[in-house]
Amino acid sequence: MISKEELEYLAQISKINLNENESRKFPKQLDKTIEYIDILEELASDDSVILDLQEMKIEELRDDVVRMSGGKQISKNITEDGFLRGPKMK
Amino acid sequence: MSNLHDLLAYEVVAGINGGLFSAEEYVNSILKRIEDVESKLHSFITLDSEGALSAAKKIDRKIKEKEDTGELAGITVGIKDNISTKNIRTTCASKILEDYVPSYDATVIKHLKKNGAIILGKLNLDEFGMGSTTEYSRYQPTHNPWNLDYVPGGSSGGSGAAVAARECTVSLGSDTGGSIRCPASFCSVVGLKPTYGRVSRYGLISYANSLEQIGPICRSVRDLVMMVNIISGKDEMDNTSIPSSPITLNNKLGKLNVAIIKELITGSDHEVSRTIYSASEKFKEIGCTCDEISIKNLHYALPSYYTLASAEASSNLARYDNIRYGFDLPVEEYKWDTYFSKVRENFGEEVKRRILIGSYVLSSGYYSKYYLKARRLRSLLRLELLTLFKKYDLLIGPTMPIPPFKFGEKIDDPIKMYLVDINTVIANLAGIPAISLPVGFSNGLPIGLQIMAAPFEEQKLIDASYDLENSINIQRRTNAI
Repeated sequence: MISKEELEYLAQISKINLNENESRKFPKQLDKTIEYIDILEELASDDSVILDLQEMKIEELRDDVVRMSGGKQISKNITEDGFLRGPKMK
Repeated sequence: MSNLHDLLAYEVVAGINGGLFSAEEYVNSILKRIEDVESKLHSFITLDSEGALSAAKKIDRKIKEKEDTGELAGITVGIKDNISTKNIRTTCASKILEDYVPSYDATVIKHLKKNGAIILGKLNLDEFGMGSTTEYSRYQPTHNPWNLDYVPGGSSGGSGAAVAARECTVSLGSDTGGSIRCPASFCSVVGLKPTYGRVSRYGLISYANSLEQIGPICRSVRDLVMMVNIISGKDEMDNTSIPSSPITLNNKLGKLNVAIIKELITGSDHEVSRTIYSASEKFKEIGCTCDEISIKNLHYALPSYYTLASAEASSNLARYDNIRYGFDLPVEEYKWDTYFSKVRENFGEEVKRRILIGSYVLSSGYYSKYYLKARRLRSLLRLELLTLFKKYDLLIGPTMPIPPFKFGEKIDDPIKMYLVDINTVIANLAGIPAISLPVGFSNGLPIGLQIMAAPFEEQKLIDASYDLENSINIQRRTNAI
């Protein structure tokens, strides 16, 4: 069973506040989901299985050319000086 | 002539180009239809009537001046609200993006506009595409046009319902684990999840990049072919896109080797299995072979899918910090972390659950236990399917294990809701194309047949679907609205 502390830790690393209802409901629901995916443990840990079937070669990537957005305002949080406004660092 | 809003896409293009009616008249008939039925369905999040009428007038002017109008001239397309549309609000049915107006068009939208299609508006979905009913939309759920008490499927539920109810000619959805095929099946329309890479994902607001594809939902296979040919192609803005050959509409289906996936049938509702067996008999009647086969790794597919999709979601949705996208909440008085956590309260319950599961399976100690094993299963499943496709042209089964269900039936139990996707996630994990074709009804509720093929073998899917569509000749119009 996911403990209250574990749920709080997951919420903290995910940067999500949970409301009272969610804090009460989620441990049981997440538990059921984890129990469901536990079946994956049955799979052999065979390292010979290739994980990525589609490989991309570096030369297939397009050139890294900067394209300007035309100077349009794309976010209302952009200040007049062109900076993004963010909250204070701790 | 029947009501203009009843016409199929190819009939609309022919009618407008042939001077039978104008694009403006057609768009007005669609807008009237929306006015009549939308209050019962709630398919749309944003309707752009003005933009649609102005695009229609442009087409009429081109016709008058004998200019090229494009292959989709005048058809109205509803767009799932997680595909970016320049100057039209794109919310992902989430509070967190309620004010987001993209400054650019997704590549698929550019292709549609270039070919004369008219963007009608944005359609409802489960928040960020996470769900199978539209009940997780932060606006309101969409209702099934075949019976308003039932869910339309999801996550592209608005895209399925709007097409079935003839509120738009065709629509675009996106499919991460069945999100095009589920509503196509539940609303009795045709929906295609293309091969991973056939259609550019540029402008699709990401939920699980390695699994998702944009695809069309239509009322006929012929319309679907028109749409998929226009939206396909290599795009320099999406490095996973691959060039592909256009699909044609053939009248005669060659002798194909078809296999029914046993596990998909045995796990299904009785009426659903019966309808799928009866559809498989049609394959035999037209000279195909039809075996029954098993897929060894199938029972690991859904747990593997939810592990990978949640992991990718937790990473993709980390960008919603209210600095670059968001709503009015001043940054003053907050510290760095507390501000973000406060803002992200605005995600709905299902999105939060998936982000938390994603963080869990990626965290140290669990990464190799869940995430790596899920990726390993994905490779094994794909290899098993590719081996099967050496012997069989098509693999078939029910799109959904059950017919549409009532609102609220599964909302309190996430696992019950996830199990609805058990037949569809296979194609996303393996990156193969899959189509859902209407083949019958159970107590007036639609049942869809899922057909899967090897990567980039969409032609075989279309050949088989076109033939079945003609021979099954299913009821097309719903009388519920």
